[in-house]
Amino acid sequence: MSFHDLIVDPFSFGFMQRGLFSALLLSLSGGLLGSILVLRRLALMGDALSHSLLPGIAVAWLLFGTNTLALFVGALVAGLLTALGSALVSRLTRVKEDAAFGALFTVFFAAGVALLSRLPARVNLEHFLFGSILGVSASDLRLAALSSAITVIVFVVARRSILLETFDPVFNRATGGRGPIVHAGLLALTVLNLVAAMQTMGVVLALGLFLLPAVTAYLWCDHFALLLLVAVAVAAACSFAGIVFSYHSGVASGASIVLCLGIVFLASALFSPRHGATARLVEFIRERHSVHRSAD
Amino acid sequence: MNAAPNILRFQDVTVRYGRQPALQDVTVDIPCGSLTAVLGPNGAGKSTFLKACLGWLPLTRGDIRIGDAHPQHALPRLAYLPQRHAVDWDFPITVRGVVEQGRYPSLRPWQRFGDRDRALVDRSLDELGLACLAERQISQLSGGQQQRIFLARALAQGADIFLLDEPFAGLDLLAVEELARILRSWEAQGRTVLAAVHDLEIARRAFGRAILLATSVVAAGPMESVLTEANIDLAFRRGKGASENPLRMTRTAEFPK
Repeated sequence: MSFHDLIVDPFSFGFMQRGLFSALLLSLSGGLLGSILVLRRLALMGDALSHSLLPGIAVAWLLFGTNTLALFVGALVAGLLTALGSALVSRLTRVKEDAAFGALFTVFFAAGVALLSRLPARVNLEHFLFGSILGVSASDLRLAALSSAITVIVFVVARRSILLETFDPVFNRATGGRGPIVHAGLLALTVLNLVAAMQTMGVVLALGLFLLPAVTAYLWCDHFALLLLVAVAVAAACSFAGIVFSYHSGVASGASIVLCLGIVFLASALFSPRHGATARLVEFIRERHSVHRSAD
Repeated sequence: MNAAPNILRFQDVTVRYGRQPALQDVTVDIPCGSLTAVLGPNGAGKSTFLKACLGWLPLTRGDIRIGDAHPQHALPRLAYLPQRHAVDWDFPITVRGVVEQGRYPSLRPWQRFGDRDRALVDRSLDELGLACLAERQISQLSGGQQQRIFLARALAQGADIFLLDEPFAGLDLLAVEELARILRSWEAQGRTVLAAVHDLEIARRAFGRAILLATSVVAAGPMESVLTEANIDLAFRRGKGASENPLRMTRTAEFPK
């Protein structure tokens, strides 16, 4: 197989071009957002959030069809209900917030699956869950461009507030920062990008495009700005590789992208020179060795 | 103008968490350029006292003034140092990166990090002896050095009142001496420091003044007049006369000769 067959051929199709552009745009915003989610230890909450969007999307779909604005609003409402609901449950009852979140998001997810399974036959549940690059329309691409642009603008304008609130929320508050606004804004951006990524990746797998590049970059970088850059670069590179692989192998595009990201993450976790498992193990053995020596 | 005007005044302050009072009828004045330790047993309201200075807590009664202003309007004058365990030391950021954060609150979103900001950051790093460590990731420093990162950030803020929550917790002996020396030099430069401290022996050696709390003020003023047996007994045992003197229960921080 020549280079041309491997890389250029797939993108002679319009839908493949749209799929690639949409994935690259979402890599940009996803890499940025994912980094913040990882650093704020909200990775699991993001995952729960992505599941809880489903009933909102289903209801919006039932009422308004494929109107992207309606889908976003529906998803946002479902996400906010889950977040507020779990906050309320943890305040009013003995249940702690993480458990409340876990309980609520599964209920929301089940409601979404139930709603979607009652839809007319031509809509496929799998389509919402896992996405399909074949179906990326021009309006989906526009939504991806819009959510990516909004995310980048927010990150440029609020870069210092985001860093302060992520690194040291107490300091941010003590210096007059508005922590809750930053927090809510990041959650809204996450929902927006999850909805935008639904077509290519599906709601469940989309978060992989956000989180995996971030944890990979976290294994390599000791600078905040560099971490964001590397996360975006990893997301973009793996989106490209994943889509090419998906074209040639027939594997679903979302799964293909996430698997590529998974390989890069695994390799980093094992072999990153400072924070990887091998490096830490070698250091540990060397230390023990030197302790034994000095004891002799 | 007086030699040392009171910079921080609590007037009859009561703070409640739910129905439980955390501070009760607290009236104290803290002189400008003093080194004051906030002392007391666990749950005496030490942290609440610092948070009240920042204007974070609704006061049930009373009034807090910083200079002539309410705390909310005096935020640029205040620097708050978090407890060391509250920091994520694995965060991908260098020493310089943390100290630069001190300038962020005074920068508008569209403003660039300018030469003046950079100069202030450099000066703060210099003053705390961190210049040669500035490009290190923060977990690569020792406990005492890590503490100094946050002192440097507070300096870069341009604040003149420093609120420290348990700054001596988890430091080894050398680092304790080092921090005490830094705080004394700050006092000499006219900076006001207010620190919650649980170790009475460290407080006695490092601070000139003290506020002894047990929900309400047991005693306040110069250290030796506050840390009397009777006052300590009152604060720590509510005068119930338990067996030990808490001064003797604290570890001594002397080096063997």
